[in-house]
Amino acid sequence: MSGFADFWAGRDLWREPMIAGVLAGGILGYIGVFVVLKRMVFVSAALSEIAGVGVAFAFWLGAVMGIDPHAHGTIPLLLEPTWFSLVFACLAAALFSLRPGHRKLAPETIVGLGYIIASALVLAILNSPRIAQEAHAVGDILFGNAVTVPRKQIEALFAATVVAVVAHAVFFKELLFVSYDPETAVVQGVGVFRYELLLNLATAVVISVATRAVGALPVFAFSVIPAAAALMITDRIGVTIALAVIFGVVSAALGYYVSWVEQLPTGATMVVVASVFLLPGLVKIVRRSSV
Amino acid sequence: MERAVIGYRTPLLPPIDLTVRANSTLGVLGPNGAGKTALLKALLGLLPLLGGRRVLPLGRTPRVGYVPQRDRLDMSWPLSVLDVVLMGRAPLVGPMKRYGSRDRDAARAAMQEIGIGDLADRPLYALSGGQHQKVLIARAIAAEPELLVLDEPTSAMDPAAERVLLDLVARLKSAHNLSVVLVTHQLTAIPGFADEVALIDRERGLFEVGPAEQMLDPEKLGRLYGRVVRFAKVGDKIAILIGDGAPR
Repeated sequence: MSGFADFWAGRDLWREPMIAGVLAGGILGYIGVFVVLKRMVFVSAALSEIAGVGVAFAFWLGAVMGIDPHAHGTIPLLLEPTWFSLVFACLAAALFSLRPGHRKLAPETIVGLGYIIASALVLAILNSPRIAQEAHAVGDILFGNAVTVPRKQIEALFAATVVAVVAHAVFFKELLFVSYDPETAVVQGVGVFRYELLLNLATAVVISVATRAVGALPVFAFSVIPAAAALMITDRIGVTIALAVIFGVVSAALGYYVSWVEQLPTGATMVVVASVFLLPGLVKIVRRSSV
Repeated sequence: MERAVIGYRTPLLPPIDLTVRANSTLGVLGPNGAGKTALLKALLGLLPLLGGRRVLPLGRTPRVGYVPQRDRLDMSWPLSVLDVVLMGRAPLVGPMKRYGSRDRDAARAAMQEIGIGDLADRPLYALSGGQHQKVLIARAIAAEPELLVLDEPTSAMDPAAERVLLDLVARLKSAHNLSVVLVTHQLTAIPGFADEVALIDRERGLFEVGPAEQMLDPEKLGRLYGRVVRFAKVGDKIAILIGDGAPR
């Protein structure tokens, strides 16, 4: 059987992870335009890790209380890891919106500290003797694997996508203004904190849900690479957004297909395919610098 | 501002009185690090006063057209000139609404008035420094302001470009009945432009405000900049000469 025929025959197996990947690629491609332009690439990585702390914390709490949070159908709603991951990511997003800084520490340093501390916390909690025996399962729930995605996570990702799209569609002009020139926006009475918070919360919701669905690496990559690739080849904001969404969707779909046919790790293959979209921009840069 | 105490945690200056009069131009002059930005933020209500009060004669905050320092903006954003000028309309349109044809017309009219009507579709990165400055002024005018505030608009400009820009602002002021506040560290920007001048330097605890002809005094400016300042009349203009030594 040819590669494609084999792939098509297995569609019942890949339909749901493919939908999750395409949704994540599209919405993160869009959000990535703001992430890259606002020079907050590290924020998406930090949010992903901090959402992970929420999941790990839910497991730790469950272990302390003698409840298994990934025992389907038996966990109390309050111990549901998705809620913990959302709450932790949203709290971090709110904190980042306050533009925390210090005379000697740039806001980027604070975000970096959030990333480092969150990564360490996840490791520490996962290796706690109380939940060590479940660490592998927790790792999958934490960072997804892009190969199998439960229907519940697709629904959560769809809901997160709708929330982010609606927020951006309704407040696009304000989000663009406060992102490009917060100083003038605040002087002209456009509430900068309010819209920064909305932008960061929408980003946090999508990142925390997408990380659990398709994994940390593709999420970080989709929130940077498609936008960066689009920005290198166009000067129009509308075209940039359209291209970033297309690059994200195609990277996810094509990446999944290639990983299936070539038996490669799914998340990493999606990232490699996304990177191909950087080539036209890189060629443009090389041409310009050789003039 | 009445008996206003300005500062972030501690006062930068003794309490000050400062008025921006309708249809007049206030120049705020001081060396780098003098506290001009803090004064401007306090005036605009962005920095809470540590003491005293801010009085709004209209009973509300006036509509402000703001021209920020150009070098604080990122030219790499994939925005056209029209995209940027339209941002000035955002407060007028209000949240949850898109820009309409009225806003586009107002933005184009502002660009036409500033002399950049043909640049509407040009990407930001392709603008010269002077063109970019005009785009920011067009955005401020598109906001239909009552008060136009310019923060160091002529820094990094040659003297001829500086004069062209100030003439443009003066023209806009009379065309739109604007009150104007110009913050600058450049001595050359103020004479012939401002009706009133505030001299500020927090290092020396200095704040003085008054009519331009009174404040543009070689002795006062000498104290402000720590250099000998001399005025020379050239035709009907005044040339300002800054000497090497400290004033006595």
